[in-house]
Amino acid sequence: MALFLIKRLLGLVLTLLLAALVIFLVLEILPGDPAAMMMGVSATPESVAALRAELGLERPAAARFLEWLGGFFTGRLGLSYTYRVPVDGLIAERLAVTVPLSLLALGLAVAFGVTLGTLAAAKAHRSADAIIMGITQLGLAIPNFWFGILLVLVFAIGLGWFPAGGFPGWAADPMLAFRALLLPAIALALPQAASLARITRSTMLETLSEDYIRTARAKGLSRSQTIRRHALRNALIPVLTILGLQFSFLLAGTIVVENVFALPGLGRLLIQAIGGHDLILIKSLVLFYVATAIIVNALVDLAYGLADPRLRVGRA
Amino acid sequence: MMISIHRLAGPAILALGLALPALPVAAQPRDTLTLCQTLEPPILDPSGGAAAAIREVTYGNIFEGLVAYDRDGKVVPALAREWTTSADGLVWQFRLRPAQFHDGSAVTAADVKFSFERAVAPDSKNAQKWIFEPIAAITTPAPDLVEITLKSFTADFLEGLAMGDATIFSAASVGKAATEPVGTGPYRFVRWQRGDRLLLERNDSWWGAKPAVKSVTFRFISDPQAQVSALLAGDCDAHTNLGAHEAVAQLRADPRLAVTIGRTEGETIVAINNAKAPFSDLRVRQAMAMAVDRRLVNEGAVSGLGTPIGSHFSPNHPAYLDLTAERPVDLAKARALLAAAGYPNGFATTLRLPPPAYARRSGEIVAAMLGQIGIRATIEPLEWPQWLERVFRNKDFDMTIVAHVEPLDVNIYTRDNYYFGYQSPVVKEAYARTKTARSETERLEAFRTIQRQITEDQANLFLFMLPKITVARKGLTGLWPNWPVPANPLAELRWE
Amino acid sequence: MNPAWRHPSFGVGAVLMALVVGAALLSLVWTPHDPTAMRIMARLRPPSADHWLGTDQFGRDIASMVLVGARNALLVGLVAVGIGLVFGVALGMFAALYRGRLIDEAVMRGLDFVFAFPAVLTAILILTWFGPGLVNAVVAIGIFNIPVFARQARGATLQVLALDYIRAARLAGLSRGAVMRRHIVPNITGLMIVQGSTQFAFAILAEASLSYLGIGTQPPNPSWGRMLNDAQTYLATAPHLALVPGLAIAITVLAFNLLGDGLRDLLDPRMKER
Repeated sequence: MALFLIKRLLGLVLTLLLAALVIFLVLEILPGDPAAMMMGVSATPESVAALRAELGLERPAAARFLEWLGGFFTGRLGLSYTYRVPVDGLIAERLAVTVPLSLLALGLAVAFGVTLGTLAAAKAHRSADAIIMGITQLGLAIPNFWFGILLVLVFAIGLGWFPAGGFPGWAADPMLAFRALLLPAIALALPQAASLARITRSTMLETLSEDYIRTARAKGLSRSQTIRRHALRNALIPVLTILGLQFSFLLAGTIVVENVFALPGLGRLLIQAIGGHDLILIKSLVLFYVATAIIVNALVDLAYGLADPRLRVGRA
Repeated sequence: MMISIHRLAGPAILALGLALPALPVAAQPRDTLTLCQTLEPPILDPSGGAAAAIREVTYGNIFEGLVAYDRDGKVVPALAREWTTSADGLVWQFRLRPAQFHDGSAVTAADVKFSFERAVAPDSKNAQKWIFEPIAAITTPAPDLVEITLKSFTADFLEGLAMGDATIFSAASVGKAATEPVGTGPYRFVRWQRGDRLLLERNDSWWGAKPAVKSVTFRFISDPQAQVSALLAGDCDAHTNLGAHEAVAQLRADPRLAVTIGRTEGETIVAINNAKAPFSDLRVRQAMAMAVDRRLVNEGAVSGLGTPIGSHFSPNHPAYLDLTAERPVDLAKARALLAAAGYPNGFATTLRLPPPAYARRSGEIVAAMLGQIGIRATIEPLEWPQWLERVFRNKDFDMTIVAHVEPLDVNIYTRDNYYFGYQSPVVKEAYARTKTARSETERLEAFRTIQRQITEDQANLFLFMLPKITVARKGLTGLWPNWPVPANPLAELRWE
Repeated sequence: MNPAWRHPSFGVGAVLMALVVGAALLSLVWTPHDPTAMRIMARLRPPSADHWLGTDQFGRDIASMVLVGARNALLVGLVAVGIGLVFGVALGMFAALYRGRLIDEAVMRGLDFVFAFPAVLTAILILTWFGPGLVNAVVAIGIFNIPVFARQARGATLQVLALDYIRAARLAGLSRGAVMRRHIVPNITGLMIVQGSTQFAFAILAEASLSYLGIGTQPPNPSWGRMLNDAQTYLATAPHLALVPGLAIAITVLAFNLLGDGLRDLLDPRMKER
C-alpha cells in the first residue's frame, strides 16, 4: 500500500520535472529577442541590450532553469517581460476568473450531463432516449467557441441580457461578475455535459442490468424508483472518474472560451503572452496548465487505484 | 435548431440601435468617466517603451514634461512656465512653474536634469534617445531654472521635449514608474487590474485649473466587436480609437452617441526591402505602385475612413504635398514595367505582416492586387517580437505593412541602416536643411523636397493615414478628435 | 439493402460525411465564385441570388469559401489521424510484443507523458516555436493523437496475442513479424478505424480552435475556424458571417463521430448498449 503510494508519487514528481524541462527547452531557445519587442519599432540597439541585461538573458541556461523551478515554491517566477510585474501575482490575479469559470462550467456540466444521462437511461431505447442522445451528439460536435459566439449573438447583442464580454471584477459587484461568467461557462460546459450524459447513460444501463437491481425491480420498485434509490449512486463513481480525466479538456477549453468572451483569465493571458512573446510568462503559464492536468489525472488515478486493488499491480 | 437562431438573430440585430431606451438625464453633471481604448499598456513608464498605449493613458494625465503638444499639435507650456533661447539657438532656459509630484515633493530643476540625464544613460530604455542626444550640458542656476546647452542648432529640439519620452520624473519615485507611477499630472494612479481596467483619481494639488472629472476608469477592450457592444450597453462612455470601422454607420445612427472621424500621424505603408533584388530595381517598385489601388485598400482595411497618401508625410502638417495622383493604377503599364525589369511572368515573394488588424487586412488586399500583375506574395503573419527581430532588425523580408505613428518621422528615410534600406543623398541633404533652416518657408520647402523625392524613387508604397475614430456618449466634451500624438488628456474633459 | 445502412448512427454519419466529402470534391472543379477574388466595394453583403451566403469583409464569396474550407478540414483530419495512426499503432504493437520488458515500460511512459499535455497546449508550444501555420498545427494535433492510438493498439494487440491459436502459432515457430502481419494487423484494423473516425472529428475541432485563436491556418487559405475568427469582428454588423462556417464544422465533426459510433456497434454488437 505504502509502496504503491510512494511509487505513484515518485512517478508524478518525475513527470512534472520532465514536463518543466521540455517546456523550458522549447521556450528558451525560441527565435526572437523579447527585449527588442518591448522597446518597439524605433528603439536603438543599445537600449535593447540594456533591457537584455536587466532581464538576465545573458546568464547560463541551467542556472535560469533551476531558479525558475525554485520559483514555483517560493512564488518568485520572475518579472513578466511585458507587464514588468511579478508573474506569480499576474497568475494569481487571473485565477480569480479562470477557477470560478471552470468550477461553474464543471457544475453545469455535471448537473445537465448526469440529469440527461439518467433520463436517457430511464427511457432507454425509447424516443426520449433517442432525442437526448441526438442532442448529446450535437453537443460534442459544436465547437465551444462557436457556441460562445452564438450565445453572444443571441443573448448579448440581440437581447442584451448579458454582457458580450469582459469582466467587471469581483470587488465591485459579485452579481455582475457572476453574470459575466455565465455565458462563457455555458459554452464551456456544452461538450463536457454531452459526454457526461453519454457516459452516465451507459454506466447506468450497465448497473441496471446487474443482479441486485434486477432483484429490486422484482420486488416491485418502478424503473425510475430503482434508478433514484440504487443505480444512480453506483453509476456516479465511474462518472466522477471520467470527469477527472476530462479535466484537461476543460482546461484547454478555458483558453479558447476566455478569448471568445475577452475574459481576463489565464487563457487570455496565455494568448496575450504569446502575442507579446513574453517568454517568462508563457513558460510559467504553460507549466501551470500542464502541471494542473498532470496532477489532477494522477489524483484520479490514485483514487481509482485505492478503490480497486486489482489496478495496483502494474498496468491493466 | 440553427435555423431558428438565424431567424432570431437577424431582426434582433436590426432593432439593436433603436430599441434600447435612452439613459435618463442626470440632474447634476457627472464627475466619473469610463474611457475605453483598444490596447492595454504593457507598463506605465513612457520612458521605458515605445508602445503608444502607454502614452494614451499617461500623457498629460499622470505624467508631464517641460512642454506638451496640444490637440492641434502645437507645443505649449507644461511644467515649464516659459522659456527663452539664445540668438544662436544653442542655449535654452526653462523657467519652471510651482508644481508637485503626487507624493507631495516639489518639482525642481534638479528633477529635470535627473530625468534627461537618465534618458541618455547607457542603460536607459528610452525609445527616443535622439531627443536628448544634441544636449551638451544641463545646469540648474536656480531651483526653478534649467539651462540646457546644445552641441549644435537643432530645429526640432522643443518638439522632442514635448513627447512622452521626455517626461519629468523624481529620482525618489522613478523606480516604480512602470507599475505604480508617481507623476506631476492632473490625475494620480489608483489601481490597475491587468487585462481589464486602470483607475485614476483627480490630483487636487495640480497646478492647472481643476479638472471637471473626478475619477476615471480606463478599460482595455481589444476585440472590435466587444468595443461596439460595450458602447451600446453603456459600459464605455467613450472609445478613443474604435477598431470596428464597419460599425461606424450603426453607431452614428444611435442618438445617444457621437462619432468623430479624426486623423492620427500614422502613415500606413507597404515597406519594401529596397536593398534586395528584385525590389532594388526602381521599375519593379513602380510596377507595384501601379498595381496597388490605395483607395480600395483604405476601403477594405479601414472602411474608407483613412486619408490616402502619396508619400510618407502627414496631411496634418503645413508642408504636406498631395502626391496621390502620381503613378495611378495601370495594370498594363505595370506588367510592361515588370517585363522591362526582366520579370515578364512576375515573381514569388513574401509579405510579412505584424499583428494589428489594419496591417493584416491591408496585407490580404495588397497580396491579391499584386497577384494581378503576376507578383505572387505569400502572407506570413508575425507577432510583434518576431516582426521586430526579423523584419525590423535583421531586414529579413521582402515586403511588410506597418504604420509609422511618430509625428514628423520622415527622418527614417535618412537613416543609413534602417530596415527598408532606402538611400538618397537628395533626401539626406534636404533633411539636414530642415534642422538648420532659419526660416519657416525654407524648412517647409525642404520637407516638400523630401516628399517629392521618396515618391519619385517609390521608396515604399504609401497607402493611407490611420484614422482615429472617437465615439463618445453625447454630453461628454473635450476629447481630442485628432492624434498629433496618441494622448487623451483627461483634464480637458467635462460632462454637459 | 445492406444492414449496416440501417444502423441509425452509421447511416446518418455516412450521409453527412458524403455531403462533406462531396462539397470538398465539388470545390476542386467548381465553386460559385473564385473563393479568393476580392470585391472590396461589395463587402459584408447579406445573402443574395449572386452570393448565396453573402460576402465577407473583403467581398469574397462565403459559399465558395465554405466549400473550399471542406477540403482544408478533410486534409487536416487525414494528416493528423495519419500521423497518429502510423506512429501510434507501430509503437503500440511494438510495446505489446515486448510486454513487461523495460522497452514496453519506456515507450508507454513516454506516451503517457505526451498525453499529459492537453492538445491545445502541445500545439501552442509547437506553434510558439515554429510559428503559426496549418502544417505546424496539424503536426501538433497528430502528435497528440499518437498516444491515443498507441494505447488502443497495445491493448488490442495484447488481446490478440492471448488468443489460443496465436499462442499455438508462436509456439510452432512463427516469427514476430509474421504474427504481426498475418494475425494482429487484420485483427486490430477495425478497432483502429473506429478510433480513427473519432480522432478525425477531434482533429477538425482542434484545428478550428487553433485557427480561431489565430495560430492555425493562415490567409488566404480558407479555414472554417479562421472564418469564425474574422466573423467575430463583424458580429454586430454582419452576423451571417458567423453562422455558416460554425455549422460546417459541427456537421463534419458530427459526421465522423456518428460514423465512429456506428462502426463500433457494427463491429462489436456487445458494445451496443453503450
